[in-house]
Amino acid sequence: MPLDSRHRRAVKRLAAGHTWHLAPQSLSQRTITHKLGRAVISEDYDRIDATLRATLRDVLGLSEARTATLNADTPLFGAMPELDSMAVAGLLTEIEERLGILIEDDEVDGEMLESFGALVRFVAAKIRR
Amino acid sequence: MLRFGPDNGPIVAIALPLFEEANRLRAFAVAICRALAARGLAAMLPDLPGQGESLLPLERCSILDIADGFDCAIKDAWNADRRCYGVALRSGALLDKLALLDGRWHFAPQNGPSLMRDLKRIKQASQPHIKLAETDWYFDPKAPDDQPAPPVEIAGNLISTALLTDLSRSTPWTSEDGGIVRTVRLDTDPAAADRHVPGTPLWRRAEPGNDLPLAQLLADDIADWIAACER
Repeated sequence: MPLDSRHRRAVKRLAAGHTWHLAPQSLSQRTITHKLGRAVISEDYDRIDATLRATLRDVLGLSEARTATLNADTPLFGAMPELDSMAVAGLLTEIEERLGILIEDDEVDGEMLESFGALVRFVAAKIRR
Repeated sequence: MLRFGPDNGPIVAIALPLFEEANRLRAFAVAICRALAARGLAAMLPDLPGQGESLLPLERCSILDIADGFDCAIKDAWNADRRCYGVALRSGALLDKLALLDGRWHFAPQNGPSLMRDLKRIKQASQPHIKLAETDWYFDPKAPDDQPAPPVEIAGNLISTALLTDLSRSTPWTSEDGGIVRTVRLDTDPAAADRHVPGTPLWRRAEPGNDLPLAQLLADDIADWIAACER
């Protein structure tokens, strides 16, 4: 389930009077904890987020500063001049090797590379399977 | 061929990877050679068949041709009774299997099936509207059956179907095949290795580059390994 949908459900709970602590982070680990202290939703995106940032940095030759600015909405393919179709091939293989997943040819489409957030969600879904 | 260091003692022969990665890693390989020479070790960086200044075009090469070329490169040193150690970068680890080496040192070795996946992705990216077949994607279905299969153009390289077929089942030499083998990988690569080191995967970059600290680190590892082998 996309993280955005879960976040919207959490907002509805707030409106209904529940309280929780939302860890103020970008795309890394988010823990939405019910006021009783139990984690309602906990997704460990830390490792995936960090690995994908490092992979983009290494494959595309991005600076550390530019890598740090990547967020869920940062557009990738089509918006990043370094990320042409040749670079995509190398990026996908590097992701496979670092995270131990296999990306099938028919899974590669514009949607998964539309933004950094989309890429993280795609990889997270692969790892969960 | 480039040569570095003294005219005697053990010699290191570096096998660059196949295709575009060779261009991306050539300067890095030279940096390793220079660092080895500074440690008093001889090194050579041969042009293999289908690479660099070779008179044999790549589209007429098989893996056997290229591996034989690497063996030929060390023949003079071998005939002069010098101990020869192979240092292979990436898919260069597929090219040292015919050579009579006293040891094999592999950096981020890539096997043939993995390289084939890379090549297929690159080919597919160059023709996004034509879906490649699952297997045998590099054979032209329109080519006549009574003619040799035409070479395949991938990222500007014309590659023979024979070489691609060789790659589909080619794996690096391991210690189980006999002899001394040492494997070093980057610390971002979770695959098994004798050592993991920090550094940049230069072979993934669009343009040739260098990583001098990594070259120095690897040269030190190679030199220490050879010293251990020589004892």
